[in-house]
Amino acid sequence: MENLVAIDNKIHKNISINPAKVALHGEKLNLIPAVVSEFMHLTVQHPIVFTKHGETGEFVCSALLGFEVGENLFWQNGQWQAVYLPLQIQRQPFFIGDAVDDDSTKSGDYVVCIDLNSPAINDSASTNIPENTSSEVHALFTETGEESEYFHEAKQCLAQLLQGKVDNQRLIGALKKLNLIQALSLEVTFINETSTRLNGLYTINQDKLAALTNEEIAELHQQQLLPAIYTMITSLGQIYPLIERKNARLNG
Amino acid sequence: MSFNSMPTKTVVVVGGGIAGWLTAGRIAAQHRTKTKAGLKVVLVESASIPVVGVGEGTWPTMRNTLIALGISETEFIRTCDASFKQGAKFAKWVDGTEQDFYYHPLVLPQGFSQGDLAAYWLNRSAKDNNSFSQDVCFQEAICEQGLAPKTIRTPEFSAIANYAYHLDAGKFTKLLQKHCTEQLGVEHIIDDVIAVNTLENEDIASVTTNNHGDISGQLFVDCSGFSSLLLGKHYQVPFKSCADVLFIDTALSVQLPYEDKNSPIASQTISTGQEAGWIWDIGLQHRRGVGYVYSSKYSSEQQARAVLAKYVGEPFNGLTVKKIPIVSGHREKFWQNNCVAVGLSAGFLEPLEASSLVLIELSAQMISEQLPATREVMDITAKRFNETFLYRWQKVIDFLKLHYILSKRCDTDFWTDNRAPHTIPDSLQELMQLWKYRSPADYDFTSNNEVFPAASYQYVLYGMGFKSDYSLSPQLLNDWRFADQQFAKNSQMVQQANKSLPTNRELLNKICQYGLSTI
Repeated sequence: MENLVAIDNKIHKNISINPAKVALHGEKLNLIPAVVSEFMHLTVQHPIVFTKHGETGEFVCSALLGFEVGENLFWQNGQWQAVYLPLQIQRQPFFIGDAVDDDSTKSGDYVVCIDLNSPAINDSASTNIPENTSSEVHALFTETGEESEYFHEAKQCLAQLLQGKVDNQRLIGALKKLNLIQALSLEVTFINETSTRLNGLYTINQDKLAALTNEEIAELHQQQLLPAIYTMITSLGQIYPLIERKNARLNG
Repeated sequence: MSFNSMPTKTVVVVGGGIAGWLTAGRIAAQHRTKTKAGLKVVLVESASIPVVGVGEGTWPTMRNTLIALGISETEFIRTCDASFKQGAKFAKWVDGTEQDFYYHPLVLPQGFSQGDLAAYWLNRSAKDNNSFSQDVCFQEAICEQGLAPKTIRTPEFSAIANYAYHLDAGKFTKLLQKHCTEQLGVEHIIDDVIAVNTLENEDIASVTTNNHGDISGQLFVDCSGFSSLLLGKHYQVPFKSCADVLFIDTALSVQLPYEDKNSPIASQTISTGQEAGWIWDIGLQHRRGVGYVYSSKYSSEQQARAVLAKYVGEPFNGLTVKKIPIVSGHREKFWQNNCVAVGLSAGFLEPLEASSLVLIELSAQMISEQLPATREVMDITAKRFNETFLYRWQKVIDFLKLHYILSKRCDTDFWTDNRAPHTIPDSLQELMQLWKYRSPADYDFTSNNEVFPAASYQYVLYGMGFKSDYSLSPQLLNDWRFADQQFAKNSQMVQQANKSLPTNRELLNKICQYGLSTI
């Protein structure tokens, strides 16, 4: 379970982060939320699809890393074996929370929170000092209570995600308006003859995209959405290397 | 031009209730009324006659109707106070005790297309007292937990468990009116019809209104409610009562607020047997609709009010009770000359299986799809329409009666009289005889125009404790492996549903907040 609290330079002055353990947050994820600005990095190895948010049913962008819940085929031998670590993992153990006024209404501002249950956290004040103290760790605050360089970079990562939320909504809004999203129905058979049906994934309808009018295409172009659209389409080819990865694991 | 070569260019719908708007909308959507080349549809609605609006339960067919009309499910749920309905729970129909209930769910029995699970269920060795619907259908468990038939991820009109709706009839009428006039091109005239003008062949040429003169057309749809202005009053088509079969003749209804805004919303219609009839209980998003339908032969209005008050409990005293007379039965035919009746003008039956709205939908669909291009073929269409709907009304009457004849209640004459053989239609008696030795099968219902499938009869028969005797045909029970697999699959699906489905209230709140996706 996550234990999110707002970061406070007094309470959390002794906390430091072990970057080598950040990726542990993605160990058991077969779908990782993605933002438009990282599509170019993701498409090198991952299919980028739409899924539906469990609470709202609204579309979200996700990178596909495995074929069943809990299966991350890029997690091997206790390590992240992909060229790119998605922002949603990179940013761990930090989160953006809504700032709350005294009367517990949202103020519209954001605060940076930390997941105190994250495996990437070292708390030097606690007695539970990790055995491997030689590995590189980064403090959140300097001795004078200033934000460290590491913390500053982490906040930039969060800012990119915040902007990504807006970009994603623009992309999804435009695609919905033009009826360009379609369900992706995939039945995959693996080397051991077992098969699985991938449900709940959606992608861009290429026939409908091709049938758009000049005006509609021009509008997508003006909104600078075409690169993301074509990246999502080409990224689907990564399904095949992903199947190979699964087969290799089954043969393992 | 002779009468015969007169092309159908304008359809005039008289009446602005659900029947009127659904029929107008169905025709307008299919016949492109909003385009220049399309058929013209005019709906004349009286300003002075109030809409009855008792039907608040639908069938799953309503999903297809909404799709055909082009109404979004999200908009429908948001504007009509609608909720999901996954069948009916019948309480106190068998022996009247507190633990007496069974379900008629909307999902077919497990493996229904592959084998007759009912036969195995009747002859199973397990003595667990599970009901038929519990053992063969996962939907009862969903309803008992107050769960929704889908999740916020499920697209509009798609289902995890088959479903229909409960809706606010007044709000639904308004939505239909808005959609028909703004999106489908139906012309709306608010005025009273004061005269019917005919041609020499007795077809209706036009209806005269107070302020809008004569409104003419080639087909007139009578949706004028109980008054049956065109079919009943003008054409004098006789009414065929079925009060000798179905005794209910009065309804007392109330609208009941929830205790608080988080109170659970039942995912099924609850129908509870009473001394002289039964009480319906329908949960919408913001209120419940509760009503007692009874036979005035067996209960005074005062007694009936007491029965309803007892069911509702303390809040009853502050509520307005609406009394609606029910005349059970239907017209001897529904299409005469160039006039066809839909809705209450065609007939009415007690709302035990939500037959009222579904018959409107089926009528609207057939009129729209079979719309005669000219007067020349209209009599043929009329004949077929009459055959189809006489059959359907009879089937609904049979199915409603089935609920009464299987009861073992002896506490009042209402229940015992309902089982008197002379009150049971021959068509139903015949089926009951067949089912002494086997379960209801698709072969028992061979018409293209069936209303209730064999599965529905199974749910009611075995839900009410009827036993089909397989001792003379043990060879029919030769595949227990199939049966055990299906029973196991059902328990599995119950578990899965419990894990993945939100409550009815949770999902409705989410739909109001986020909406359902169309894909």
